[in-house]
Amino acid sequence: MKMTPAVLIVGALMVFWASAFIIVGIPSLTMKETPSEIWRPLTPLEKAGHRLYVKNGCSYCHSLFIRVNDWDIGAERIAKAGDYVGVEPAILGSERTGPDLSQEGGEHSDDWNIAHFTNPRFTSPISLMPSWDFLTEGEITALTAYVQSQGGKHADLRQARQREWKKQAVEAYSGGFDRNIEWLHAQVPEVWRRMPNPYPATEAALQRGKRIYQQLCVNCHSPVGDGNGPAMPFLSPPPLNFTTLRRHVVENRYIGGIFYYQIMNGITGTAMPYFKKHLESEKIWDLANYLGVSFVGYTDANTEPRGIDASFEGAWENSYPPPGRERPELPVAPPAPVP
Amino acid sequence: MFKFASKPQSAALAFMVAGSVWFVVGAVYGFMSAIHLVAPEFLPHVGALVFGRERPVHVNTMLYGFVGPMLVGSGLYYLPALLRTRLWSEPLAWAAFFFWNLTVLSGPVGFAFGITQGREYNEYVWLADVSLVIAVVCLIVNSALTIANRQEDQIYVSIWYFMATFLWTASNYPLGNVMWHPATGAMPGLIDSIFLWFWGHNLPGLLITPLATGAAYFVIPRVARTPLNSHTLSLLGFWLLIALYSHIGGHHVLQSPIPNWLKTVSVVDSIAMVLPVSIVVINLWMTARNFGRRIWGDPAARLVMGGVVWYIVTCIQGPLQSLPFLQRVTHFNNWTVGHAHIAMLGFGGYIALGAMWHIVPLITGRELYSKKLVSLQFGLVTFGLTGFFLVLTAAGLVQGTAWHNGETVLRVLPQLVPFMASRAALGVFIFTASLVGLYNLLMSLRRGEEQEGAQLQRAEDAA
Repeated sequence: MKMTPAVLIVGALMVFWASAFIIVGIPSLTMKETPSEIWRPLTPLEKAGHRLYVKNGCSYCHSLFIRVNDWDIGAERIAKAGDYVGVEPAILGSERTGPDLSQEGGEHSDDWNIAHFTNPRFTSPISLMPSWDFLTEGEITALTAYVQSQGGKHADLRQARQREWKKQAVEAYSGGFDRNIEWLHAQVPEVWRRMPNPYPATEAALQRGKRIYQQLCVNCHSPVGDGNGPAMPFLSPPPLNFTTLRRHVVENRYIGGIFYYQIMNGITGTAMPYFKKHLESEKIWDLANYLGVSFVGYTDANTEPRGIDASFEGAWENSYPPPGRERPELPVAPPAPVP
Repeated sequence: MFKFASKPQSAALAFMVAGSVWFVVGAVYGFMSAIHLVAPEFLPHVGALVFGRERPVHVNTMLYGFVGPMLVGSGLYYLPALLRTRLWSEPLAWAAFFFWNLTVLSGPVGFAFGITQGREYNEYVWLADVSLVIAVVCLIVNSALTIANRQEDQIYVSIWYFMATFLWTASNYPLGNVMWHPATGAMPGLIDSIFLWFWGHNLPGLLITPLATGAAYFVIPRVARTPLNSHTLSLLGFWLLIALYSHIGGHHVLQSPIPNWLKTVSVVDSIAMVLPVSIVVINLWMTARNFGRRIWGDPAARLVMGGVVWYIVTCIQGPLQSLPFLQRVTHFNNWTVGHAHIAMLGFGGYIALGAMWHIVPLITGRELYSKKLVSLQFGLVTFGLTGFFLVLTAAGLVQGTAWHNGETVLRVLPQLVPFMASRAALGVFIFTASLVGLYNLLMSLRRGEEQEGAQLQRAEDAA
C-alpha cells in the first residue's frame, strides 16, 4: 500500500470519525437522563459550591462515584447514572486520596465541615488536604452546602437528623456541665452505660490509645483533653472537656461503655463523628482507656461486672481508682492466677 | 521581526526551546505538589499553591508545554527534511508557536487562580481551547502544503504520524472539551464523563503517541544509519493505532454507571492496543538490531530508545489495568499516577528529549554544548522515573488492596507517608534534569562548536 496524501488525510479522518461516532456519538444519542430515586436539583448555594469544587480541583483527590466493589466506604449504595442528572460538569474523579464524597451529605454536621475546610487537620489531624482558609466565609459555606447535598434525598434525611439533634445538644450544653453530661449520658443505651471497659489499661493499650487519640481526636479535644483544640472556635456545641467527667465518676457510674458507644457512633447534631468504620473494637476500648486514665484519672477496666479474662492477657491490677479514693497498694509482681 | 520569523527552521527551534522551558516550569509544579502530599502545611494560606490548583498546572504544562511542543518542534524539522523541501511557511509555523504557547501559558496564570474547567486533561478554558485549535489548524495547513510541495516521492512514516496527529487533534479536542458549551466546557449529566475521557485518553493516544512514534521512526534509523525495518509493519501500526485508540477512553470510568456495551468496547480495544504498540516497538527494535553500539553511543538516540522501552512497560500496564478484575485494585490510587508518569515522561518525554538533542545540532549546524550533560540528564530522569514507577506502583497496591479489604481512606493515609516522601525526594532528580537540559540547550545555541560542513552533509544523506 502506498501512502499518498489523499489516503493519509482522508483515511485518517474517516477512521477517526467512525471511531468517534461509536464511542461518543452513540452514547449521546441513546443515554437517557432519568433521575434516580435519591436525585434532587441543587439549590443556588449548592451550585455555587459545585463551581468552587470544580475550580479548586477537589476532584483530583475525591471521587464522586461509589463502585460495586467499594468496601472501603461501607458502600450502602452504588452510584447510578440517574444521580448525575443536570450536573455540569459531573467530574467523577480518577483518584481517591481523600474519601469518596458522592454520598457524604449529612454524615457530618455543618460546623464540622466548616472547621474541616478552614483547616482539614482541625477535624482530621492526619489529613493531607490543603487548608482553604484563603476562601471567604461565604465560599466555605457554599462548599459545605455542596458537600452536604451529596447523596440527594438521603443526604437531606441525614441533614434533617443533624439539625434536629443539634438543637437539643446546644440546649443541653447551655445548661452547664452537669446538665450537659447528664444529657450526653442519657443518649447512650442503658446496657452500654453499665458496661465497664473489658480490656486492661496496660502500658501497651494506653500507648495504642494515645496514638489513636493523636491521629483522630487531638485537634478538637486538645492534647490535654479539655476540649480547647484549635477546632473549638468553629464548633457549637464545643468539644467535650473530658476533665469535667471526674465529678461524675462515682461508684457504679461506669464510663468505659459510654466512651465506647460515643466513639463508635458519634453524637449526631454535634461535630463528634462516628469512628466505627475506622476503628476496630479493641482500638475503641484502648482509646476509652486512654481517655479515662489520662483525662479523668480513672478507668473502670477490669472492674465488675466482667466476663472471663481473655486468654492472651496477663494478670492486671487496676491502679486507677475513682477520684477521692486511695490508690491501692500494688502487690509486688503478683503471681498470675493459674486455675 | 517578519524576517526573523522567516528564517528556515527557526519555528522548529523555538518549539523545542519552549518545550525545555516548560519542562522546568512543569517540574517545579510537580515537585511542589509532591511536597504538598507529604506536608500539606508547606507554604500555607496561599490560594495559588494548593494541590488542587497545582496539579492541573503540572499536568497540562508537562503535556502541552514540554512533551507536545518539543515533539512538534522536531516534527517541523524532519517534515521538510524528509520531503526534501522547505517548510511551506515559516511565519505560519511561528503563528502556531504563538497560539500554542498562549494556551500553555494560560495554565500557570489561570489554573492557579481557579480559572479552569476542572475536567481532568480538559482544564483549559474556552479561549485557551480556541487558541490551541488555531495553532493546530495552522500546523495542519503548513504540513499539508509542505507535503504538497514535496520533492521526494515517497512519504515516510514519520510524516504520516506528524500530519495525522494534527488532523486527529483538531477533530478530537473540540469534541472532548465540549467546546460548543463555552461556559462550563462540559455536558450535563453522566454523559460528560464519556466526553471527558474521550479526550482524556486521546490526549496521550492521538496527540503524544503519534508525535513520539514519528520522532522515534525518524531518529532511530538515522542514528543506526540503516533503512527502516519494514514499511508494512509501520502501515499496520499506523492504522491500528487510530482504529483502536480512540475507543478506549471509557476504561477510566469502567466502574461507574456508564452503559455496559461501552465498557466492553473500551476493555476489548484497550487490550487490542497491545497490537499497534508491539508493532511499533518491534519495527524500531528490528531497525536498531545489530546497531546497538551506535544507538547506545549516541546520547540522543539512547534517550529515544529509552522512551521505546518505557513505551513497552506502559503499554503492558495499560491493557492489564483495563481488565475489570484487576482495575478493582489498580484504579483510584497512585498506581494510575505511576502509569501516567511512565507514559508521559517515560515514553513521550524521553523521545521528545532525544529527538531534540538529535535535531538541535542539525538545525544550528553546531555541536551540542555538552554530550555529557545529555547523558547526565538521561541518568537523572531515568533514576527519578524508575523511582516514581516503583514508589507509586507500590503505594497504589497498598491503597488498592487496603480498600479492597475494607480499610477506610483515613486508615490508609498514614501508610502512604513513606511513599509520598520518597516520591517528593525523587522529584528533585526530575527537576534537576529539567534544569540541566535547559542549560545545555541554551549553551548549545550560544556557543556550540561549529560543525564541519562535510560531516553535516553526511548526516543529512543518511536520512
